[in-house]
Amino acid sequence: MVHVQQSAVHNRLLKAMTVEDFTRLQPHLKPVDLQAGQTLTKPNARTEHFHFMETGVASITAEGANGRVEVGIIGREGLVGATPVLLGSDRAPYDHFIQVPGAGLRIDAAVVSTAVDESPALRKLMLRYILTEMIQTRQTAFVNASQEIEARLARWLLMCHDRVEGDELLLKHEFLSMMLGVRRAGVSLAMQQLEGTGCIRARRSRITVLNRKLLEEMADGGYGTPEAEYARLIEGA
Amino acid sequence: MPRYFLHLRYGQGLDKLAVDPEGDELADDEAARQLALQAARDLVAGTRSFAVRDWFVCSFEVEDEKARHVMTVPFSDIVPEEDDED
Repeated sequence: MVHVQQSAVHNRLLKAMTVEDFTRLQPHLKPVDLQAGQTLTKPNARTEHFHFMETGVASITAEGANGRVEVGIIGREGLVGATPVLLGSDRAPYDHFIQVPGAGLRIDAAVVSTAVDESPALRKLMLRYILTEMIQTRQTAFVNASQEIEARLARWLLMCHDRVEGDELLLKHEFLSMMLGVRRAGVSLAMQQLEGTGCIRARRSRITVLNRKLLEEMADGGYGTPEAEYARLIEGA
Repeated sequence: MPRYFLHLRYGQGLDKLAVDPEGDELADDEAARQLALQAARDLVAGTRSFAVRDWFVCSFEVEDEKARHVMTVPFSDIVPEEDDED
């Protein structure tokens, strides 16, 4: 079997690892396709595998009376499934499913747990990664509590744009409605306002980012803090 | 089941209409009205927008699959009539 090379991976955690830590995990990394709608972890079920995201986007969602709402997003900066396990649990109360198809590197949860026990450098990296997930979640709480739907949509489009190749995002309003926890009419309204500024073009479910800087302005401070913290904590930026 | 489109009217003019590109399959006109009222309640209760400062000036313009006007549901319809409170 040909092993995945560190120089060839897209995942930012794998890239940030020491060569020694990457070498520990390397024989256990299994390339997998990630299909739209595929569930990576079910709520309250034991987590057997983690997925280093290479391309595509996974959503963490909570199930409510009015349907599913997104509470987190993981792309090539992250490792799906790891947070509860590395903090001593074996499961999460949330769904992790693929919202933008792509590819990942699957690994046994036990392999990563053992490697973290053996390597202080890897433990430090993983704990820092968990911290970046917490920061993103707190930022989402802040944005949901304080910001208008236009800014929230702008932030979400930026987070998605960060995790896909190119400037085109294929997202139905119904899906965005679930992601943002807002009625579809609220999504359509916000989309129209963003489009009016020229930062995006929206044609039904095809959204094109035209001016990213302007889109960041529309996010009104909601975007950027977790992203900068990730770069600082994980990549030493 | 027929498909209904709930366009959001939030001011005068073509540019103040947020078009519903996807629609919903619903049993009949009454089901469409109920969905419009539920969406209006949720927007009023939980969504802030810089484009809409007062949800109660808004309405849903409901159309069928052939883009024919079915009904207008003003957001003010979510407030119970005084008669209902007696």
